[in-house]
Amino acid sequence: MKKHISPYRISLVLLFSLVFVPDSFSEQTTDSVTVAETRLSLNYVCNANDSVTLSATLSVKRDITIKYLENASLFFYTSDGLNKRLAGQAKTDSEGNSKITISLSNLTGDQEDIIHYTVEFRATGIYPAATAEFNAKPASLKQSFIMEDSLRVLRISATEKSTTGKEIPVPQVTVNIYIPRLFSLLKIGEITLDDLGVGTMEFPKELIGDSLGNLTVISKIEEHDRFGTVQVMNSINWGIPKHYIYAEGPSRELWTPIAPLWMIITLVILLVGVWAHYIYAIYELVMIKRHNKKREAISPTV
Amino acid sequence: MESDKNILLKEFAPQLNSTGPWGYAWISFLLAVICLGIVAFFFQVLRGHEVTGMRDNVVWGIYIVNFIFFMGISYAGALISGTLHLFRSSWRKPIIRMAEFITIISLLIGPCFILLCIGRLDKLPYLAIFGRIQSPITWDVIAISTDIFGCLIFLYLAILRDLATLRDDDIIKLSKWRKKLYKILALGYTGTPEQQLRLNRATDVMAAMIIAIAIIVYSVLAWIFSVTLQPGWHSTIFGPYFVIAAVYSGSAVLILSIWLFRKIYHLENYITKKHFVSVGVIMLVLAAFYGYFTFSDYLTKWYGSEKNDELLIRLLFNEYYWYFIISNYIGVLLPLIVVGIPKLRTITNITITSVVVIIALWLNRYLIVVPTLESPYLPIQDSRPEWLNYGATWIEWSLTAAGIAVFSLLFTLASKFIPIVPISGFHHDLEDKKEGISA
Repeated sequence: MKKHISPYRISLVLLFSLVFVPDSFSEQTTDSVTVAETRLSLNYVCNANDSVTLSATLSVKRDITIKYLENASLFFYTSDGLNKRLAGQAKTDSEGNSKITISLSNLTGDQEDIIHYTVEFRATGIYPAATAEFNAKPASLKQSFIMEDSLRVLRISATEKSTTGKEIPVPQVTVNIYIPRLFSLLKIGEITLDDLGVGTMEFPKELIGDSLGNLTVISKIEEHDRFGTVQVMNSINWGIPKHYIYAEGPSRELWTPIAPLWMIITLVILLVGVWAHYIYAIYELVMIKRHNKKREAISPTV
Repeated sequence: MESDKNILLKEFAPQLNSTGPWGYAWISFLLAVICLGIVAFFFQVLRGHEVTGMRDNVVWGIYIVNFIFFMGISYAGALISGTLHLFRSSWRKPIIRMAEFITIISLLIGPCFILLCIGRLDKLPYLAIFGRIQSPITWDVIAISTDIFGCLIFLYLAILRDLATLRDDDIIKLSKWRKKLYKILALGYTGTPEQQLRLNRATDVMAAMIIAIAIIVYSVLAWIFSVTLQPGWHSTIFGPYFVIAAVYSGSAVLILSIWLFRKIYHLENYITKKHFVSVGVIMLVLAAFYGYFTFSDYLTKWYGSEKNDELLIRLLFNEYYWYFIISNYIGVLLPLIVVGIPKLRTITNITITSVVVIIALWLNRYLIVVPTLESPYLPIQDSRPEWLNYGATWIEWSLTAAGIAVFSLLFTLASKFIPIVPISGFHHDLEDKKEGISA
């Protein structure tokens, strides 16, 4: 008898030990669940029309979960290094984002013409305060679309404003060229500007535009140490016009709501073939049962 | 004098109506592993897929590997049991029931792993509401549900005679509810010539059907990959390659199962070396085919020198070097050597080989899924460097262990309900054995 007890004990020990293993995981989480950390990030884009777009994202980190805060007020400030000025206030959307665009004409920078941008989230009863900063000198990009013989050339020039208000070229920076596609920006080229702050590239011929062949071209200096992100966006009729073909009736393609006829026919043949055999097998089972009932009716003792 | 059926029933009685202490220990252990899986599942549901290793780049991990693996051994069980039945192989009888159990049990577990891959399970009904026939996912849902139904019918037809035997038997002391259940399920089968004829006809039809369905269904599963424009997947031979790999892994699982049940239930008189060698030879032939398909697939990719295929092959021979060697070299060569050389053909060697084959084929599916997703044609938007490579988390391993535990538990419980060796078909062999004909 004693011999038989040990496996039971082993099984009980195994059962309990394995069932209570997850408790160690939950302990780790309950300790940290009360600690919340507010995170604020600031993105800066300098536009070609002498304005800057400041966008901030507000999130709260709890344990390993990150939650974006909706409807929170964020305060955007600009500063010349000495005086801090409220530039605007915006509420966050469902993904914790808020955005303002401010004109550069009224802003002044520090001695090096660098403007200091700050975004603040003020503490609430639940979430602690957070701030994020970004410093950048205003710069501007210019796109020119030039026809040279039969070639289409995109010319980019970049300038920055000196302390005296004079525009001076920005040399040796990399400018990325994009066109917007359905889901994201498609990179079509990269230009490194020369000492005069100018660069060119041959524009691709095979890009598909809208029905008139219009393309939106975006040039960007991205995450530069001094200028941050600078971008310019223009439209040009250099794309291949897209032709929409409207079918007279509902078409049956791989991507349409109605499947191609051959596919439906194949599926029906396969399913009917298979299920007919199933039904036959079930029919035979029913007949086996009926046969027994008949036998019992003839000779009940069997 | 006792009938042969009675002798067999006596032999199987302890397995059917009692569970020893080690049996309870085994079941408790399996339940504990399943509990761990349930906890992991709740973690995943509550926190989302971020608790797994799956990210924007590698959107499929070991769940899909397990799905392919379980579905593979299911189709292998169907193909092996269906083929052995149709060819009336004399040696099939002691092992055919295990092949049937493998088929249906793994077919029930496999699709559960697909559900674990779905981030929004609440939107699952949309598959039925808005499903399009053009989608391979829809084909798969239709194919798997049709296959489950067909395999259940085949299993039922195969066990009907034994259900009738257990209903009529007085030797084994079974509980009343079980007797009643056997009576209902036996459908009044008494073995009259007409009933036998009908049962044989239905079994033959279903045996042929499940072979055809197994090939189609596993091809559909392969097409989910091959119709996708991904390096390593977009291949015309994926359908037959998957079918061969499935039967190969299934034959290995069958060998392991018959070794385990032979040991546990002391079936040495019924399951002999002959059975191991016979299934081993099937495994050897499949190993050769599997090796041929693997070589053919990778050779064409390597020779084509397409940029992303080259990237994938480089990944396989560097980061996944040992996975690749075990999966495609050891997994192919070991059965050829062990079963191919008569001196090495022992029960232990064949069983060890089958374990290696199971591991190799699981890794093969891993190599099909993960490295491909790590080397996509287009870069993923807003991806992060830490998302480029996949590593399974404890959640995924726990649920994998739980899947294996459910498989083992259902197999154990099924063997307690129906004899693991078909009594009704086997007693004829016993008669032969008495006369010294049988091996």
